[in-house]
Amino acid sequence: MNWELIGDILLATVPLLVIFPSMFALTTWVERKALARIQNRIGPNKVGVPLTPYGGKLSLFGLGQPAADGIKMLFKENIVPTGADRLFHLLAPILSLIPAMLVLCFLPLEFPWLNGEQNSVKAFMLDGAVIFFFAITGLNTLAVFMAGWASRNKYSLLGGMRAIAQMVSYEIPLVLSAVVVVMIVGSLNAAEIAEAQAGWNWYVFQPWGLAAFVIFFIAALAETNRSPFDLPEAESEIIAGYFTEYSGFKFALFFLGEYIAMFAISGLAVTLFLGAGGGPGVEALPWLKVIWFLAKVCILIGVMIWLRGTLPRLRVDQLMGFAWKFLLPLSILNIFIAGFAWHAKNTNEGTAVSVIVWVAALIILYAAAKGLDRVNRAKVKPRTYQYGE
Amino acid sequence: MSLLGGGIFKGMAVTLRNFVGSYFDKERLTTKEYAWRTDGKLPERAGDYPKEEAEQLSDTTTVTHYSRNFPMLLHDEGEPMDTVRCVACQICERECPPQCIYIEKSKDKKERGGNKAQFYPATFDIDVSVCMSCQICVEVCPFDAIVMNSQFELSTPDRFGGLLLRRDDLLKSNDYYHKIHPEEAAARDKRIADEKAAKEAKKKAAEEAKKKAAEAKAKAEAEAKAKEEAESAEKPAEAPAPTHTDAKKEDNGE
Repeated sequence: MNWELIGDILLATVPLLVIFPSMFALTTWVERKALARIQNRIGPNKVGVPLTPYGGKLSLFGLGQPAADGIKMLFKENIVPTGADRLFHLLAPILSLIPAMLVLCFLPLEFPWLNGEQNSVKAFMLDGAVIFFFAITGLNTLAVFMAGWASRNKYSLLGGMRAIAQMVSYEIPLVLSAVVVVMIVGSLNAAEIAEAQAGWNWYVFQPWGLAAFVIFFIAALAETNRSPFDLPEAESEIIAGYFTEYSGFKFALFFLGEYIAMFAISGLAVTLFLGAGGGPGVEALPWLKVIWFLAKVCILIGVMIWLRGTLPRLRVDQLMGFAWKFLLPLSILNIFIAGFAWHAKNTNEGTAVSVIVWVAALIILYAAAKGLDRVNRAKVKPRTYQYGE
Repeated sequence: MSLLGGGIFKGMAVTLRNFVGSYFDKERLTTKEYAWRTDGKLPERAGDYPKEEAEQLSDTTTVTHYSRNFPMLLHDEGEPMDTVRCVACQICERECPPQCIYIEKSKDKKERGGNKAQFYPATFDIDVSVCMSCQICVEVCPFDAIVMNSQFELSTPDRFGGLLLRRDDLLKSNDYYHKIHPEEAAARDKRIADEKAAKEAKKKAAEEAKKKAAEAKAKAEAEAKAKEEAESAEKPAEAPAPTHTDAKKEDNGE
């Protein structure tokens, strides 16, 4: 028995299983607070230290709310509809959580207690990490549709179908925008991608990197069913979509899976475009890398919450049109731009060339986006009302 | 030429302004903080609230005057059951969409407020766990006996008995109604007074008209009698005109 290996694996995985679920708990509170403040409400502010009377002084801005929610979820009745497929109804939430948890391993989080010489780190620093990431997160679609199908409920099924259409469509711009970085670095290994961006050499500062980051972020919103792309669980249209028939701990698992997937995909965005653990002071204090990485993930999550408080939900046809008519052509063009820019930079010396290439690439990308927007808008006629007005 | 995606940034600026502003400007917060029980105990039954009645009323009046929650039964000044307006006609019970009202009519009749003796509700229950606050009972009531209360402090650990409001829980004075919904109550009282005045005026007019009609009838009869007597003295009465031909003419539109 290789006890050293097992110890290393535990050292590498247990922190992930502690950090991300506790970040999830905190994020639910932050999200409720932030959405409330955006709507000029106060938000949860009563649940504080347990076993003190409500309205007591120890409310701590409602920080006890995640714990209260968790306890409530655990004790709620587990309802399975008559005629539902009990096995798949049970499997769906588990299957939605596992891939999200699994891909956390491939994020280049350099914990100080893992010095890079240990076996476990090498095991996780897979050479095909990025491809593996997309392959495994793709399983989430299956879980969502499984939930929709097994519930034996029209709304659940509609939600599941919407989820499939949306996730399949947005996976393409998501992967194509990641391809740019993979192409430039020449590696699918997350650690190598992180290394290539060391010293403020983040890809988001390049025009093609910025475009890819924006496309990636939008597609990531759609992949994780976040607003404004939350059509699979649109409350005002199809109750709660594939969540409709889920209660108690199964619902909590779905919820957890969704947020962990958000963290995972934000982590990948940070790895690919935002310099992974890079930031001020990492040369002197290597353990700051983990802090910077998690801070960047939190900022992306904050932007997601902010967008949720701002944007209304898209219509199904707008959603599909946006993916296929706007994001897809733009991300394909972006691959070419990145290739030319990289080639021009490699074959020519001097800052003048790189500045010209930078500006030219930015202008071409913006013009292309603007043109695509205009072409798409030209087909949309102003809405006419037969009986209204 | 506008910036691509500029609308998103504009919207995000608005929400950011609200987010930051709500921490500094208390006027922005549209919700009022809930008045919590100071003793930390759970309520025993619906409406159980450890405060004085005046304070409880102030809690009810912290909500807007246009708020409505569940129905209540109105009574005028005096002992509630001596002045209750409800006559147990059961219209609200029949109209209630979720059927949350249960009424039992009294066996005897009782005189209230100078009106003629009427039935009164022996039982009047509203299950507020079923009630959907639609106010249809208020709209159909011909006696202005049922109106909406705005009391919201109704939580109870007993979800069956505790949420079934009995007749005596529902009885509220007209003064209370004036306090929680001043405009609506004033309008309702004015309408009741107007209707009463109109009814009395109509009654008076009807009596006068009756008197007049009786007089006129007497006069006409006397005249007709006199005429008949005179005519019968001159020649025999003519045969009545055939009515069906007239009807036909009208049908043809001539």
